[in-house]
Amino acid sequence: MAFELGIYHFGELTPDPTTHQPPAPGTRLRELVEQARTADEAGLDIFAVGEHHRTDFAVSSPAVLLAAMAENTRTIKLSSAVTVLSSDDPVRVFQQFATLDLLSGGRAEIIAGRGSYIESFPVFGYDLNEYSELFAEKLDLLLKLREENPVTWRGSLRPPLMNADITPRPDRELPVWVAVGGTPASVVRAGRLGLPLSLAIIGGSYRQFAPFVDLYRKAGAEAGHAPEKLKVSVNSPGFVAATHQEAVKVSHPYFQAGWMANHHQRGQGVPMPKMAYEAQATPAGAFFLGSVQEVTDKIMAQYEVFGHDRMMIQLGFGNVPQREALKSIELLGAEVAPVVRKEIASLEASAARVTA
Amino acid sequence: MTAAPLRVVAVVGTLSAPSRTTALVELILATLAARTAVDTRLIELHTLGPAFTGATDRDQVDDEVADALRAVEEADLVIAATPVFRGSYTGLFKHFFDLVDQYGLAAKPVLLAATGGSDRHALVIEHAMRPLFGFLQAWTAPAGIYLNSGDFDGTTILNPEVYERIEMAVNDVVPVAGALAAVRAGNAAPVGPVHV
Repeated sequence: MAFELGIYHFGELTPDPTTHQPPAPGTRLRELVEQARTADEAGLDIFAVGEHHRTDFAVSSPAVLLAAMAENTRTIKLSSAVTVLSSDDPVRVFQQFATLDLLSGGRAEIIAGRGSYIESFPVFGYDLNEYSELFAEKLDLLLKLREENPVTWRGSLRPPLMNADITPRPDRELPVWVAVGGTPASVVRAGRLGLPLSLAIIGGSYRQFAPFVDLYRKAGAEAGHAPEKLKVSVNSPGFVAATHQEAVKVSHPYFQAGWMANHHQRGQGVPMPKMAYEAQATPAGAFFLGSVQEVTDKIMAQYEVFGHDRMMIQLGFGNVPQREALKSIELLGAEVAPVVRKEIASLEASAARVTA
Repeated sequence: MTAAPLRVVAVVGTLSAPSRTTALVELILATLAARTAVDTRLIELHTLGPAFTGATDRDQVDDEVADALRAVEEADLVIAATPVFRGSYTGLFKHFFDLVDQYGLAAKPVLLAATGGSDRHALVIEHAMRPLFGFLQAWTAPAGIYLNSGDFDGTTILNPEVYERIEMAVNDVVPVAGALAAVRAGNAAPVGPVHV
């Protein structure tokens, strides 16, 4: 698999820091469709949308939004980021993404996770005390649905399926990635199941995650999975612009607004000062933030540490204005992606020569 | 009438330069400066030299060291920061506060900060530093700031949570420091007994 670059978005409705007005959900959703089209045209590999269940987010049903994107794009992969599998029904998730896969000509993917926000649990009637068990059991069912039809399955948290016919069937095995934040047990689970790992690094030093990726590969190898099955995606916020200064200047006020809305201490939003934001743009920091050259260098430096297969940027968090976001997407697709793909392909070729 | 700038003195018990602990203190001072008017002074103890380390009594220090000790005693707010060395604050750090006047820090706001190799040392603030400043009857800020080496790239602080923690600690301590400074300057009445 060639190295992949993409974008993910949660459709947040953070009020604009200057006007204090939140964007209208419909406007935001149509903007995201336009972003996906731009990403497709710019040659990016994947566009993913997250799932939140509260007023300050526009996306609660990623598959519906992704279906609209499917009609407006040609080659880009369309994924959830993430599907909160713990509070959803795996049968419905499978059906929706199978539909998306058929509609899009085999471009659908699922990134499944336990969820870092918990609003969806009471909405769908799930008990947070079973947070971990819910995910384990539902992931088991989702994988079973992928493997066979009709399906017979029994668990303890969902009614059993007896010779159930789950349709439509996609023309291929639907990709299912496992999203993890910082829990070693989640990494080990993904490795044991031989599922690709989608790793969120949302701040600090990305190097701290190297042992995490090693643990994943070790758990996968011990369970007997081939190394090429054990794919890794690194996902971090960021913004690309013509210059470092422009990237920070344009995106910081919006990022800070989004951060304050979603990151609380003692019940209040805490600001992300500009110098804290800038620190993430330094070579060791986690964000894909800066000029084309800086972001290219960051991806290559991460590749040295992780040897990963995909990176995804949460681009313009907090609602950078659409025009600026589209410009950034174009730079990422047209200028960063070709260089990164070429560099990594040549590194892989020389590694293969050494091995041979 | 505008209040005079807060006199903030930071004491860093570091042994080296460049220093992660100093980088942390500089970030705290910058955050304070963004929050309110301040006159800041940063004292890195290893720069004070033999006139400090060789003194076993206040009478033996030279003018530079005497000035540093006085600055701390006269400050409106003290930042006390140290790397963790052999499980606790450095010897330099303790030595400095051994030479400070017994009641020089009484009822004075002190913000505690420390850096260590890993989070295994995080309680150094609660188990080593706070008792020392408790003895000195200082008014320690409720939130201490501890960083491990993974929070840094060199002396650049990468962990966004650190910036948050500093904002919070600074927001807690500034009103207290301002109020106490006003009392000392005679611009506000000290809080007396409440008669109901």
